[in-house]
Amino acid sequence: MSMVKLVNVHKSFGNLEVLKGVNLEIQSGEVVCIIGASGSGKSTMLRCLNHLERITDGEIYIEGELTDKRENNKDLMKIDPAKVQILCTELGMVFQNFNLFPHLSVIDNVTIAPIIVKKAKKEEIEKVALDLLKEVGLSEKKDEYPSRLSGGQQQRVAIARALAMNPKIMMFDEPTSALDPELVGEVLATMRHLAEKGMTMIIVTHEIGFAREVADRVIFMDQGVICEQGTPEEVILHPQEERTKSFLNKIL
Amino acid sequence: MLNETQLWAIFNGTVVTIEIAIVAIIFGAIFGVLVALGRISKNKLANGLSWFYIWFFRGTPLLLQLFIIYYAIPIIYLDATGMTFEINPMICAFVAFSLNSTAYLAEIIRAAIESIDGGQMEAAKALGMSYRQAMTKIVIPQTYKRLVAPVGNEFILLLKDTSLVSTIALFDLLRTVKTMASADGNWIYYVYAAAIYLFLTTIIQVVFDKMEVKLGVYER
Repeated sequence: MSMVKLVNVHKSFGNLEVLKGVNLEIQSGEVVCIIGASGSGKSTMLRCLNHLERITDGEIYIEGELTDKRENNKDLMKIDPAKVQILCTELGMVFQNFNLFPHLSVIDNVTIAPIIVKKAKKEEIEKVALDLLKEVGLSEKKDEYPSRLSGGQQQRVAIARALAMNPKIMMFDEPTSALDPELVGEVLATMRHLAEKGMTMIIVTHEIGFAREVADRVIFMDQGVICEQGTPEEVILHPQEERTKSFLNKIL
Repeated sequence: MLNETQLWAIFNGTVVTIEIAIVAIIFGAIFGVLVALGRISKNKLANGLSWFYIWFFRGTPLLLQLFIIYYAIPIIYLDATGMTFEINPMICAFVAFSLNSTAYLAEIIRAAIESIDGGQMEAAKALGMSYRQAMTKIVIPQTYKRLVAPVGNEFILLLKDTSLVSTIALFDLLRTVKTMASADGNWIYYVYAAAIYLFLTTIIQVVFDKMEVKLGVYER
């Protein structure tokens, strides 16, 4: 089943066109890693999916349902904010800078969105949250404030927080780029675990080794378009495009 | 030393001073939030109104605002309706000081909201929260700690500015001691007033310092 579909998506910030016609379809259960240089539009594409940015042109479908259709920066369909809100809960997002809520304890970080968005009962969702924290290996930190955790621990809490909304798709926007090297492994392990459980994942990353190991499909983006895509074998080991080759040469 | 009548007069003057400052800081904080949200709103009307409000109340002397409310409004009312009405100076002071502190507090609150990292709003939205939910549950609670110091500052300024109400027939602390000082030509009353102002501002300072520590527990 198609979980995410982008049709000829363009996105400009003023005169700067960041996405120049992206077409992409992601199936249920697929783990897709997006690689490419900074400024190639990888993060912007993720942010367009959950309306953190609005596309300038094109169509976006989530689970087969049209969620955004625009042309020349104008809506071609009526956007219902309540519907966008529900849509966002289908797409979990993990940010480069974690963006945990610093004024809330770890457990409250995980439970707050289900409580206020889904009107979940506090006792019930706390049980779910504890299980999720156990899964990311942080149940004993549940009463700490985020400032007392390491970057890797914060990012694992952020993953638990996103999972608490029971999303169908998890999006990761360079989840390990802000981490000290020795903390990268624990976050990748958590993500690997999630992938093994069959979660549909879209991962923007610079961890080529991780992409090679976990991804079903690797996408190389360059200058606002998908330049090359295929299995990790094809894209990372045997790239066809010159631009892919030169990018991989630079970072490997 | 003070006789009993004088003691009571000073006490009552102090109460007037404290009352005006407390009413102004409370109403200022409540309406200040609204004006601040107007200032950061994308809605042109809300934005314009808030801008105008702050522009006027910060840009004119508090004393002038007090005069407008106490002296000008009854005259305008008389011209418009041909009737006079009894204006209560204490109410006028409450209104003028609240309107004025709203403008200052709105700017303090706006700056505090804008100082919260934009990633917080994005994370809240990505979790499905509406703008309103994200503001009230995520962004605004994080401003509390940052608000304490400037709001304490504003509170102390207000407390001292209450001495302006002597111009509209109110006996606040300063006017009370000034009357006594000119009645028997003794300057010691000013020392009493200074001591009371310092006592009150010390309380504010200590309480706000404690609040700042308490509200910042989540920071390392």
